[in-house]
Amino acid sequence: MTNIRNRTPGFLVSDRRTFLKGAGAAMAGTLAMPYIARAQDNTLYINTWGGPWEEAARAHLFDPFTAATDIQVRTVSPVSFAKLAQQTRTGVYEFDITTLGGAELVRANQAGIIETLAEPYPGGLFQNGVASHAFATVISWRTDKFPEGPKNWADFWDVERFPGARSLQRYAARVLPIALLADGVEVKDLYPLDVERAFASLDRIKEHIRVWWTAGSQSTQILRDGEVDLIGIWHGRHYEAEAAGAPVAMTWNQGEIDRAYWVVAKGTPNADNAKAFIQFATGGKPLAGFATQADYGPLNPAANEFISEEDARRMPTSPENYKQTFEQDMVNFGGDPAQIAERFEEWVAS
Amino acid sequence: MGVNIAKLTQRTDLWPWLLLTPLAVYMAIFFVVPLADVAIMSFTEPSPTLSNYERVLTGGLYLRTFLNTFVTAITVTLCCLFVGYPLAYLMASSKPRTAMLILLLVTMSFWTSFLVRTYAWMVLLGNNGPVVWLLQTIGMERPPQLLFTRFSSTLAMVHILAPYMIMNIYSVMRKIDPTLIRSAESLGARGFSLFRHVYLPLTAPGIANGSVLVFVICLGFYVTPVLLGSPREQMIAGLIGNQIDEFLAFGMGSAMAMVLLVVTLAILAIYHRRFGLDKLWG
Repeated sequence: MTNIRNRTPGFLVSDRRTFLKGAGAAMAGTLAMPYIARAQDNTLYINTWGGPWEEAARAHLFDPFTAATDIQVRTVSPVSFAKLAQQTRTGVYEFDITTLGGAELVRANQAGIIETLAEPYPGGLFQNGVASHAFATVISWRTDKFPEGPKNWADFWDVERFPGARSLQRYAARVLPIALLADGVEVKDLYPLDVERAFASLDRIKEHIRVWWTAGSQSTQILRDGEVDLIGIWHGRHYEAEAAGAPVAMTWNQGEIDRAYWVVAKGTPNADNAKAFIQFATGGKPLAGFATQADYGPLNPAANEFISEEDARRMPTSPENYKQTFEQDMVNFGGDPAQIAERFEEWVAS
Repeated sequence: MGVNIAKLTQRTDLWPWLLLTPLAVYMAIFFVVPLADVAIMSFTEPSPTLSNYERVLTGGLYLRTFLNTFVTAITVTLCCLFVGYPLAYLMASSKPRTAMLILLLVTMSFWTSFLVRTYAWMVLLGNNGPVVWLLQTIGMERPPQLLFTRFSSTLAMVHILAPYMIMNIYSVMRKIDPTLIRSAESLGARGFSLFRHVYLPLTAPGIANGSVLVFVICLGFYVTPVLLGSPREQMIAGLIGNQIDEFLAFGMGSAMAMVLLVVTLAILAIYHRRFGLDKLWG
């Protein structure tokens, strides 16, 4: 599964890192020799999240792409941003394509570790990533506790009207904008973030956050079990709890959109095939099928005509829902994301 | 005859080292080189300075997380010892069939992914879970919060790591010559004194081995404390992962890894001076 393929022997590359790296890459290169032939053999290596994500991608993106082009698709999981960076440094490629979130995409483009791409559909290109699908962080609550739930993040912060344990994701870039909305900031004034005000707002809710969730499955679990009464959760995870029979409801209002972008690893020998795949995978029909099965919203509007009205209601990108949500702005973030994340971790732990 | 044996020993002196060569080469390529790379990156990424170490050693977050990591690892190791030692003794003093049954029960938890076990504790200890229900049924009106506390994370980690301790101690206990105990008894050793002066020293290699193993594995844990513990329970491995996979801060992550390595080696060195790590090999 983790076939390491070689592009350029490390010791020939004028790497600013020392011979150690070169020696390591050369060694890996020697071991990987048998795969060089395979690399030119019309096989594309794609980095995926595994599980249901890969099943949906296999059914609607990978297999149809192979049928249309005769290019085989192999997968490597889980998605690793660090590996993408290391590949370019060492010249040893494990995968040609991966998906990144907005924050990582900006960082990757700055670091020059992704290929330059062309716009596949109007508005589809951002920082050399092709917008594919989106999920939203939405307000979800237990209906056995609150028949009438909160309507926005300010309500989520209102512990008198909605007493009970809460949970948010332990992830500064997503939580800070939410804290500002809760404090009364308008969506149009959100970026650049007023970091001080965001932390002051978080101070008000801190003692009511019973747990800061870190894994998607954990957020579903604590909502299902009634460990918390209110939660800021990815919409797909909310539907998972609902499908399991938990008494839960959610609102799209002030849902926070996260976009996923396809990128091509800089310098991969498979760049042309990789670009062809991305063009295919963000086309209306394949994208519609993938997004429907994996509980995302397609970002290419051309996909909407392939989606039933019933399915569209579950998507953050359908016109009806999208106008209630808001987008993140990673270019205009309002500070160094790494430092803000450090401060957030410190704040959570103190 | 005696001379011959001496000669033979001398001649084969080099043999064990020669046999080690493949392993040594393997370790050099796949362990020493990457580790050296990490050490270099900690000084050179993003620029050749000591700034990574300065940030790690002066930032409140990192020091607190290091402290928490070591406190957690030591607590879990001690708990595993107190749980594991009596159980290993029970196994060593039972009939072989009973011992096998207990061993099976102990190792059975290895067959389940530790993530699944972590989620199982979430269900068991939750507000609407069986433990809280039981406490309410026997009349406790407001049962204490169990989940998302240091108690729940420690309990789960002990559950995950105890088998390492038990198997190490058991393997040593099984080999203890029963005549040693009988001789001690015939010389008048009784009860605690017999345990303290004869049995405990004989099982010390198992204790040392199990403790070091549990301690070192626990240092690298971070999923269980973050999923089950209180928000204050971040482990250093979690921060290293964040730095590298989220921010591509290879230098910062490497510096933290190096500090972790050095402190761990220092702790093992102190432990060695006090108890002797050579007991690991009996």
